[in-house]
Amino acid sequence: MINITLKVNGEERALSLPATRTLLAALRNDMKLTGSKNACNQGVCGACTVLLDGVPVNACLVLAANVAGREIVTIEGLGEGGKLSPMQQAFVDAGAIQCGFCMSGMIVSATAFLAENPKPSRKEIRQALSGNLCRCSGYVRVIDAVELAAGRSGA
Amino acid sequence: MEFHQPTTLDDALTLLAADPEALPLAGGATLVAMLNAELIEPSALVSLGGICELHTIEATPEGGLRLGAMLSHATLASEARLTGGNAVMRQAAAQIAHPAVRNIGTLGGAVAHGDPSSDLPAALVAADAVIEVAGPSGRRSIAAEGFFEDYLTTALEEGEMVAAVILPPQPESAVGHYEKFARVHGDYATLSVAVVLAMASGKCSHVRIALGAAGATPVRVVAAEARLIGSSLDAGAISEAAALLTAASDPVDDVRGSADYRLMLVPRLLTRALAAAGGAP
Amino acid sequence: MSDIESATESAIGKSPPRLEAAEKAAGTAIYSGDMELPGMLHAALLTSPYSHARILSYDVSAALALPGVKAVVTAEDISGGYIGLVCKDEKALAHGKVRYIGEPVAAVAARDEATARLAARLIEVEYEELPAATTVEQAMAEGAPVLHEDFADYTKIYQAPENEGNLLARAEAVMGRGVDGFDEADVIVEGTYEVGAQYHAYMEPVSVLAAFGPDGRVTVWSSTQSIFRTQANIHEGLGIPMGKIRCVAPRIGGGFGAKAEASGQLVTVMLAKKAGMPVRLVLTRDEDMTSMRARHPGTLRVKTGAKADGTLVAREMEVWLDAGAYADDSPAVMNLVLFYARGSYSIPHVRALGHAVYTNKLRLGAFRGFGNPQASFAAESQLDEIAEKLGIDPIELRIKNAIKAGEQWLGGQRITSCALVESLEKVRDASDWTRRREAAPGRKRGLGVAAMTHTSAFLSSGAIVRLQGDGSIILNVGAVDIGQGSDTALSQMCAAALGLDIEQVSFATPDTDSAPYNYGTNASRVTYTVGQAVHRAAMQVRAQLLEHAAAMLECSEGQLELRPGGRIGVDVEPPRNAEVSFADIAGRSLWAVGGPITGSGSYIPNDPPDPEHTKMTGFLGLDALSVLTFGAQVVEVEVDEVTGAVEVIEAWCAHDVGRAINPGAVESQIHGGFVQGQGYALCEEMLWEDGRLVNPSFMDYKFPGTLDTPDKIHAIILETPEKSHPFHVKGVGEPPLVGAAPAINNALSAATGLRLKQIPLTPERVLRGLLEKG
Ligand SMILES: Cc1cc2nc3c(=O)[nH]c(=O)nc-3n(C[C@H](O)[C@H](O)[C@H](O)COP(=O)(O)OP(=O)(O)OC[C@H]3O[C@@H](n4cnc5c(N)ncnc54)[C@H](O)[C@@H]3O)c2cc1C
Ligand code: FES
Ligand code: FES
Repeated sequence: MINITLKVNGEERALSLPATRTLLAALRNDMKLTGSKNACNQGVCGACTVLLDGVPVNACLVLAANVAGREIVTIEGLGEGGKLSPMQQAFVDAGAIQCGFCMSGMIVSATAFLAENPKPSRKEIRQALSGNLCRCSGYVRVIDAVELAAGRSGA
Repeated sequence: MEFHQPTTLDDALTLLAADPEALPLAGGATLVAMLNAELIEPSALVSLGGICELHTIEATPEGGLRLGAMLSHATLASEARLTGGNAVMRQAAAQIAHPAVRNIGTLGGAVAHGDPSSDLPAALVAADAVIEVAGPSGRRSIAAEGFFEDYLTTALEEGEMVAAVILPPQPESAVGHYEKFARVHGDYATLSVAVVLAMASGKCSHVRIALGAAGATPVRVVAAEARLIGSSLDAGAISEAAALLTAASDPVDDVRGSADYRLMLVPRLLTRALAAAGGAP
Repeated sequence: MSDIESATESAIGKSPPRLEAAEKAAGTAIYSGDMELPGMLHAALLTSPYSHARILSYDVSAALALPGVKAVVTAEDISGGYIGLVCKDEKALAHGKVRYIGEPVAAVAARDEATARLAARLIEVEYEELPAATTVEQAMAEGAPVLHEDFADYTKIYQAPENEGNLLARAEAVMGRGVDGFDEADVIVEGTYEVGAQYHAYMEPVSVLAAFGPDGRVTVWSSTQSIFRTQANIHEGLGIPMGKIRCVAPRIGGGFGAKAEASGQLVTVMLAKKAGMPVRLVLTRDEDMTSMRARHPGTLRVKTGAKADGTLVAREMEVWLDAGAYADDSPAVMNLVLFYARGSYSIPHVRALGHAVYTNKLRLGAFRGFGNPQASFAAESQLDEIAEKLGIDPIELRIKNAIKAGEQWLGGQRITSCALVESLEKVRDASDWTRRREAAPGRKRGLGVAAMTHTSAFLSSGAIVRLQGDGSIILNVGAVDIGQGSDTALSQMCAAALGLDIEQVSFATPDTDSAPYNYGTNASRVTYTVGQAVHRAAMQVRAQLLEHAAAMLECSEGQLELRPGGRIGVDVEPPRNAEVSFADIAGRSLWAVGGPITGSGSYIPNDPPDPEHTKMTGFLGLDALSVLTFGAQVVEVEVDEVTGAVEVIEAWCAHDVGRAINPGAVESQIHGGFVQGQGYALCEEMLWEDGRLVNPSFMDYKFPGTLDTPDKIHAIILETPEKSHPFHVKGVGEPPLVGAAPAINNALSAATGLRLKQIPLTPERVLRGLLEKG
């Protein structure tokens, strides 16, 4: 067992876990933050995407012990005071969400991307979300949602 | 399993030397996926993330670039100094997987893993890069071409690590291009062609070509390049060069394509890659 | 009372955000794999390493001895019988034999996941390997190993073949003069088409949580498309009385058909019972891919005859589907391939013959389209071959032969409403069909078309609508929203029937303890079929509301007007400003007169086939299958002549939905269905080598991502009111997938002249085809 602290969604969390535990498992099992999903455990699907020091990573490919002391933001940490973040709200308003299983990762990726590139083209949005697989939406409304969020923040 | 986070390369080497079952951990893009699938059971991991010198990029006195092993693919993909012939590296890095994996995966990890269908090995061979290896008995340099020895097998000896990759200065007017073909975006290549090409007065003055996913290691054929040098990259020259490359290729049959199909792609993607690198007639 | 009708329109035809969209966006939505209970154990499976073997013995002692292990189960612990919707041939765990690699053989419950997995590997099973038949050819060969020696004894709800080895089902339908009808044809085209096995790839792998209460009842939260089928399977498979089984559906991360019948629920319940503690099973992606279901691969020989003017006169289709190791839905899927064999056209003479064959593979099962994608790929591709042969435009040919309202479908059921011609015209105009397409160098572009028809009424559903004390409504239907948006659409219908805003209707969590029966979320049936029941239940509530209001306002019911937002007023001359709210009425009913206001509705379509029209043998009853929905798609592709890769550039999808309750949700179904169909057409295929799945991961099995799909998928909604439904709706869940593969194949042909007869259209197949064609 290894003792570490992580800053998750602004809160210091002290954890004791095996070295092999992924950040995804630590979030879901040890911290009960189940918004990040496990759909492949292999880095392919993006359902587990979280921000590590602001950068999107697949939490299933990251060992918790290896990111000790660093700052993590999950889907649960995007909104403030029980309100949805502008990106989360845009996904709701654009009708992008179907089964929702991919959406935590999708929204986290989109959030990081828009912070970097506030006025993206649809092609750029597609590139940014290319590691987030969705089996329901066909992606059209997802891209619409990110455009909507970009438009709103520009307005 | 033990977990170490050394802050110097020497400490990392000492830890690795002490335990032959220990593995270096770079980003974990491959290593953690293998742990998750219960394919490996190392006794310890030596995390390289805290070693500053592995994160640096610096110009070499010769005019090339020295890239630290822990640079992420995302960093390489946006590195402005990877221009001219060395753009082949930037392009290859930019086509690896997808954004989040590019934030995790590293140059050193990809080089050490030595997967022939991954993108950086072929680009490194085309760029005539040198792998800087650190080990218990000091440092040594190995040309990329000789570094990849077999499927998932490199010239690294026990206790050795990839410390950096050195890209030489490329010929003045050289253009690098990485042509990747995959089943869907973000998949490993079915076949890829890395090219560094220079043209002078309509004739090829320099070319290095390496194929990815065409065999157990990147495939380079000096005679094929010789056939192109001095030519105007006419169809005849390209097809002869392609024939030599095809003959040297020995790809696998798998879900990404049959061996036959990959061989069929060699001349086709070569033509496309050369054209993209500026050799279009 | 005419105003009541207009008041009821309010909630329909709008696209409010889905009821559960905000919780999903916030990351707080709970799926079964997110749930935990105090003392909960974790389950792990041991699966078969053999395609076909006899189980000789189990030794679970080492597993049990591992600290933290609380229970181990094998087939010896099964207390119930066989399960299966149409043929009962499967048990909770492999018993006696294993029939495919990956089949669950034993399971462990332990304190943590790692211990459970380790223990599962410590279970020793002694096998005697048997010869295997992993393909249809092998399974049908002389002397082939028989998968189910007891097949004759299984309970089946269809006329099954006898003494035919691995032949699970055979059915035949003949219309008109059958194959004799080809004598009317001037041209005949014949070909054999092959379709691959597509994995559903819902993002949520199967997960189940089961817990027994002190009263001996078990509650099962699972990722399922039908809480009632889950309950029935647990009952039959484990011998637990239905009254002691409560099945609940939390949020579901997609299903697409695979989660309609049993998955991990039975084994989880067995473990929970034996351990006396709650148990959770969450499949890894690898386990999900090797042990769940996939779309049937198969071979379809198709023959079509036409007159020189393009009139289609005869169609023959002979189908062989690989059913895998257990029957599951295979006989039904095969029947539906035949149901769609004639396509959307008035072809007078038809013969369709189908087979489903047991093989040593995971069971193939229901998947969005349910046989239609296979039939349509073959038939719609062949239609273009005819068009080409006759020199007729493919859309013209389809319009010329399009089936119309009032005509009979194969089987004899009568079409009530039909916008097929309009769909074809719409996609032709929208896509600028006749325009020449410019392509990048080394690439070629082309447009392709396909039309499709699908059912939308199927089996039974109920609804309960309850008025609460504050005048709001609880709608309880037991239908699971697997992501398609039915919670919202059904709530809209309920709100509309009562003149309410959607916010005034709450949707009850599907729970077998309280919900009325509902067959399941499949077959594009929920909006139509459950919608019928919702309407009936809501109308009962409305009648009671009006009765109360008349008494309260001292007028006749005929003078009442349902006003938006839950009020009833008097509509008389001279105007009289009097109204009561639903809350007022609720108060009266709860405390004074009449008692609680509750409505309940039930519905099952009954549309029997006509034996005079079509001679059918070996079919399951089609009576409870009805109401056809129509559509057409045009797709533009760009073909890379260097690699053979086909890229979809743009798609136009026109679908007749009768009436769009929630246009936004309909469009989303069209986008998602089309893209899943694109995957089926171009890149998705499960591949087996000697019975072993070689691509059981998202790394190796690829489906389209953001960069593989067109940005422009034009969802064109056509509304031709379906009079048999109170809200005039029809389903749209499946049709958008059905057309994609043939439309893309036809576009490939238009772009290059290459006509392939096998999907997926991998770059390798396309490139080889292009080179052979020269
Ligand atoms: C979903 C997915 C898709 C991918 N697609 C592509 C693709 O399209 N193209 C492509 O090229 N790659 C692809 N990859 C690979 C990925 O980009 C990484 O480059 C590669 O996996 C190495 O990862 P890493 O750097 O994190 O190394 P790790 O996973 O940490 O390590 C990999 C191996 O190298 C060893 N190692 C690491 N660093 C060193 C060192 N400095 N010296 C010696 N040994 C070392 C480790 O012990 C381990 O054995 C993909 C990976 C994933 C998860
Ligand atoms: S679960 Fe991490 S990428 Fe799929
Ligand atoms: S919404 Fe279901 S997978 Fe994306």
